[in-house]
Amino acid sequence: MASLRTLRALLLCVALCGGPTALPAAAPSATEQQVKAVFVFNFSHFVEWPQQAFPSPTSAFIIGVLGGEQVAEQLEVAVRGEHVGQHPLQVRRLQGIGDIGDCHILYIDKVASAQLGDILAALTGRHTLTVSDLDGASQRGVMIQLATDSNRVHLLINVDSARAAGLTISSNLLRPAQIVRAAGAP
Amino acid sequence: MHGSPIRRTLMQMITLCCGTSLLIAMASFFGYELMSFRQSSVERLQILGRAIATNSTAALAFDNSSDAATVLGALRADPNITAAALYDAQGQIFAIYPANLTRQQLPARPDMQGYRFSHWHLNGFQPVMDGTRQLGTLYVESNLDAMLGRLKMYALTALIVAALSTLAAYLISRRLQRRLLGPIAALADTARAVSDRHDYSVRAQHSGMLEFDLLTDTFNHMLTQIQESAGKLQSQLGRLSLLQHITRATSDRQDMRSIFQVVLSSLEDNLPVDFGCILLHEPATRTLSVYLVGARSHGYATELTLPEGREISIEDQDLSRCLAGELVHEPDVSGLELPFARRFAEVGLLSLVSAPLIVENEVSGVLICARRAAHSFSSGECEFLRQLSEHVALSSHQASLYAALQRAYDDLRQSQMTILQQERLRALGQMASGIAHDINNAISPVSLYTESLLEREPNLSERTRSYLSTIQQAIEDVARTVSRMREFYREREAQLTLEEVDMNRAIRQVLDLTRPRWSDQPQQRGIAIEMHTELAADLPHIMGADNEIRDALTNLVFNAVDAMPEGGTLTLRSYAVEGVDGMKSVTIEVSDTGVGMDEDTRRKCLEPFYTTKGERGTGLGLAMVYGMVQRHSAQMDIESVPGGGTTMRLTFIAAESNLAATARFAMPPAQARPLRILLVDDDPMLIRSLQDTLQEDGHTIVAANGGQAGIDAFKAARQQGERFDAVITDLGMPYVDGRKVAAAIKAMSPGTPVVLLTGWGQRLIAANDTPANIDRVLSKPPRLMDLRAALAELQP
Repeated sequence: MASLRTLRALLLCVALCGGPTALPAAAPSATEQQVKAVFVFNFSHFVEWPQQAFPSPTSAFIIGVLGGEQVAEQLEVAVRGEHVGQHPLQVRRLQGIGDIGDCHILYIDKVASAQLGDILAALTGRHTLTVSDLDGASQRGVMIQLATDSNRVHLLINVDSARAAGLTISSNLLRPAQIVRAAGAP
Repeated sequence: MHGSPIRRTLMQMITLCCGTSLLIAMASFFGYELMSFRQSSVERLQILGRAIATNSTAALAFDNSSDAATVLGALRADPNITAAALYDAQGQIFAIYPANLTRQQLPARPDMQGYRFSHWHLNGFQPVMDGTRQLGTLYVESNLDAMLGRLKMYALTALIVAALSTLAAYLISRRLQRRLLGPIAALADTARAVSDRHDYSVRAQHSGMLEFDLLTDTFNHMLTQIQESAGKLQSQLGRLSLLQHITRATSDRQDMRSIFQVVLSSLEDNLPVDFGCILLHEPATRTLSVYLVGARSHGYATELTLPEGREISIEDQDLSRCLAGELVHEPDVSGLELPFARRFAEVGLLSLVSAPLIVENEVSGVLICARRAAHSFSSGECEFLRQLSEHVALSSHQASLYAALQRAYDDLRQSQMTILQQERLRALGQMASGIAHDINNAISPVSLYTESLLEREPNLSERTRSYLSTIQQAIEDVARTVSRMREFYREREAQLTLEEVDMNRAIRQVLDLTRPRWSDQPQQRGIAIEMHTELAADLPHIMGADNEIRDALTNLVFNAVDAMPEGGTLTLRSYAVEGVDGMKSVTIEVSDTGVGMDEDTRRKCLEPFYTTKGERGTGLGLAMVYGMVQRHSAQMDIESVPGGGTTMRLTFIAAESNLAATARFAMPPAQARPLRILLVDDDPMLIRSLQDTLQEDGHTIVAANGGQAGIDAFKAARQQGERFDAVITDLGMPYVDGRKVAAAIKAMSPGTPVVLLTGWGQRLIAANDTPANIDRVLSKPPRLMDLRAALAELQP
């Protein structure tokens, strides 16, 4: 049942992205990665960035991927030709922590969890939405955590972090999500 | 008053109008409500759908069906939402509301976008969009209970409103009806009252509503007109009956005056008029005169100076128009300048109508009617007067025709009487002529012998001479009486021979002749009649016939004696009167103190055959007197008082001279030389007496008995060479009369004079009508003196 729903979501994404290219023979793991990629892409529509986050009105909306090659691939498929406002979507595969400054969305894969503290520190004062599938990431300051539970992907959102970064998260996004307070926060 | 349709109809109309307008209003209201409700329902559902769709974006985007169900659960707030569902991008059902709904109750796949009504439901599909991306589709279905509830509510309200409106309309219509029908009912009541009672003086009251007041005014106006018409009809009928009355009254009368009297008094009483009169027109003399004034109009007639008999100028314009046959109506004469009209204006008669009385296209008169008030003659009355004048003219014309007819009838009867009387007189005259002829023949010898004796017998004693003279006088009187008797009976043709008459002498002769009647006979009966004579001494003679005068006086004396059966005084009076023009006249009066005559007798006493003496009288006495008076151009007056006596007065014109006559009488008669005379007569006695007396004068007389014998004797004598110096022949002889004898003799010997002797001689002489072949006519009894004169004159 769950796999069926996943498939359907995937198909939706493919339909939306408009290409038969989005329909390679998919492995179950790949499916999870696909869902996560679609979710990341969807975030661009439920979060508002301040003006200063963009150098120019037509500058690219950059989704950075740190680790997680499969997610990056899926994302590249998903965002091809898409825009947020007048900003064309662009996926960047990041190799190191130094490249994260220009990203509007930063997906931090599990593989990069060791560097999480540094990453978050580096992003302080930056308007970057942080997304991670690392368990407990939201408690650690990641803005949106994608938690997988019985083949379903849940959202955990640290509102405080997002607000600190000057980002506004749509209430629509908040309603299905679980709100997480940063540790040590009141 | 039973159920009036107009009331029911009015109520139905008002209710129907109200109901219909209400229905239309409600229907449009309902329609509008339905439309607007549908629209608002759709909008509401759209808004709801949009809201749900917006809220569902995240659930669809992040594949959270429980969140989608939660979002759909918000629809619980609207109980009319019966079903809702979210479909994902692939069209699969993603979430359902309410939860207990099965998928079979929902459309399997999302349909066309938009909202629509079906099966008492409103449903629609709403795309769930994220920017331009469609994330899924929302299906919402709502029942229409709210709309139905509202419609029910509206229907109930409408019902109540309709009921209340109808009730209100009913009440208002009732009230309006009362206001509308009230005046109609009042009008109807008035109309019924008029038709029931025929009282056209009632008037409908105003109701205060314009149209009804107009209707009422029209109705009242109509009533006024009907009332006027009825009044006119009434007066017309009145005049008609008056006309009939007058016509009937006049038809009973035959004389014009009483017809006009009836007309005028009827007009005065019944039309009425203040003044009425009739003027008569005489076209021949072109005069107009007042013939009759109405009985009550005499006062005005005096003021108007129009008494009966007064002539009026027909030059007056009014009257001349009327005389042209036109009815002239002057409604107000006060301002007129016409003299006739002004006369009326001056006495205060301001209305004047002059109606011509037309008969056979001639205006025979004018009927004048006047009233004090101006403009008081209506056209109907003028018409009435015109018709009346026609009737009156006709009636008066008939009356005059009747009078003329009556006159003609009277004349005819009078003529018939006269003819009868003349016939009688003629018969009497013929008889008298025959008698007179015989008497004349019979007394001829007496006369001849008496005259001869008196003339030729020298030895007569004085007494004999006196007797013979009296006989001669008597004979002459007889002859004259006889001739006068004939004179009386035949038509007057000739002038009588006049001679001077001494009236006093005639009176004395009459007294002598009548003495036995006024002296002897009364004395025998033991009554006394005293005779007085008062004769003027130097009375002039008159020209007349003394025998007629004597006879007339004799008759008067006899009448006077007869008038005094108990005795009395008889007075004969004579006197001369000199007139203003110097003409002298002689008057004789015969007065008695007898019974006198009443008016009737006095008027008829001169008529022939009228007598008061019964069998004793002939009724000719005074008639003869009157005849004599007329023949003498004298005058006759009768004064008589019943019981107071009678005086008959005869007045003659005096003669101018009495000398010539005396001289003529003094002329001695001429004496003829001895002649040979043929005497023809059928009376032997006359032949002998004539023969005797003529032979004594020395004549030779050959007598022939009868006309034929005379002619034969004359013829025989001529054949023997003898000739007659004269022929004396009788007129009336059998077979051959005197005229034929004369004709035969003149044929044989034109130079031989023929003397005709006739019992009718007086008449022939008087007529100076000597027949042809006759040289002289002598009447019987022949007087020797006349014969001698004729022979002396005629001797060849």
